[in-house]
Amino acid sequence: MSERAVAMEASLLPPGGRAKVEAFGTEVAIFNLDGELFALANACPHHGGPLCHGRISGARLPSDPYEHRWGRENRVLTCPWHGWEFDLETGRALFDERVRVRTFEARIEGDQVVLYRKTVNLAIVSEPDVCVHDSAAVRTE
Amino acid sequence: MIDCDVHQNFNSLRDLEPWLDPAFRDYIEVGGYGGFTLPNYPWVHPSGFMMGDAVPEDGGVPGSDYDTMRAQLLDRFDVEYAILTGEDILNISCMAHPQFASALATAYNRWLIEDWLPRDDRLKGSIVVATQDAEQAAREIGERAAHPDVVQVLLPCGARTGYGDPHYLPIFEAAVEMGLPVAMHVGAEGLATNPPPTATGYPAYYLEWHTLLPSSAMSHLVSVVCHGVFERLPELRLVIIEAGVVWLPGVLWRLDANWKALRSETPWVKRLPSEQVREHVRFTTQPLEQPARKSQLQAVLESVDGMGEMLLFATDYPHWDFDTPKIVEGRLPEAWREGVMRGNARELYRLPDREPARARV
Repeated sequence: MSERAVAMEASLLPPGGRAKVEAFGTEVAIFNLDGELFALANACPHHGGPLCHGRISGARLPSDPYEHRWGRENRVLTCPWHGWEFDLETGRALFDERVRVRTFEARIEGDQVVLYRKTVNLAIVSEPDVCVHDSAAVRTE
Repeated sequence: MIDCDVHQNFNSLRDLEPWLDPAFRDYIEVGGYGGFTLPNYPWVHPSGFMMGDAVPEDGGVPGSDYDTMRAQLLDRFDVEYAILTGEDILNISCMAHPQFASALATAYNRWLIEDWLPRDDRLKGSIVVATQDAEQAAREIGERAAHPDVVQVLLPCGARTGYGDPHYLPIFEAAVEMGLPVAMHVGAEGLATNPPPTATGYPAYYLEWHTLLPSSAMSHLVSVVCHGVFERLPELRLVIIEAGVVWLPGVLWRLDANWKALRSETPWVKRLPSEQVREHVRFTTQPLEQPARKSQLQAVLESVDGMGEMLLFATDYPHWDFDTPKIVEGRLPEAWREGVMRGNARELYRLPDREPARARV
């Protein structure tokens, strides 16, 4: 099951474009990378940084000591505030895949950009004693 | 909320030229390789030292545009007062040329007072001095400190010796004379004429350097206590900016214990060091440490008597590691929140209680 929301006119999101929209009662960042669309909640789980302003690039992947291995070109979004890196496809943080940003399916249908949200997707178990929405403190299912 | 660490900046030193002694303008225009630039870091943050969304529309340096700062910080977070702390101007104190460094301090302070502070009632300024010539620094404090929107004297934590060294005493005396606290902000460690940033020399990575930043603040705090600066100047107030806070209990426990045994080495230190620190020193919260659980953080903070009165909230806008107010407030013990977020700063800087302030223009 998934919910559908019309996000914006497709002409406003050409290849290379990005946008911030309201959908499903929250802010969503949408990116058009050479015709492929990616959409994530527009709030980093750390301090709520606006992911729509994040840099999209590759990343130095986990490697052996002193090895700098570049990969995932155009699939890594870096939060503009504190530099947390997220995989655009999964929303998972590169430093710990248990930390993730909610992702949405984004498609162009006719002249509209449409978002889909899976109704059973992500349950963030946030405890009152959590200091930072980080690794051990937040569990995602 | 009162934000005790906000980095406004110029786009380049050339912006200071109208306020710079003509005897030094050629240094800025043609000196060195086509114009002098301040000493900068050998460590590189791979995604940049600044918030990625803080570049002004004109493409200038983050912090250089008032309207951007107003939208992203002052209005957005309903800031009561923002204490401006400049940017790499603090690195003047590690330059080799003492008179050029002092001239830059003067130019910066005049630019701050004439160009930035009049823009908005919420802005309060920190004047800088070049520490190479402490007597000249004291004169600079005397010249500038009476301005009603100047609230402190700012030094870098990167320094040739601990700030308890008698070389620096004229700076502290002048600040007390003018009724201003002296702040020290992390930065300039290991640059230009400064000693290496750690006792094991230069780390390889920015990650190491940034993690170890509190070490310079620890050195100054211990130095100032052991040299008896607070005994000499009972009215002196110090602010330690951006050095983190959870190291404080450990350092104070060691200092108190050592002092009890070694008091005779520094017989002028007549009161328990931790009591002196509690009375004389304030710490800004950013970057507030992030253990997994709030209760762990609170247990550490509460282990220092009076810590709730010693902390001042700060965002560090527009730096990459800045703290947002709600998240920090939520991590603090409830009884401390009002004081840390505004009351302690209002008292230290003698800021009038006010309705949410607005721009002057």
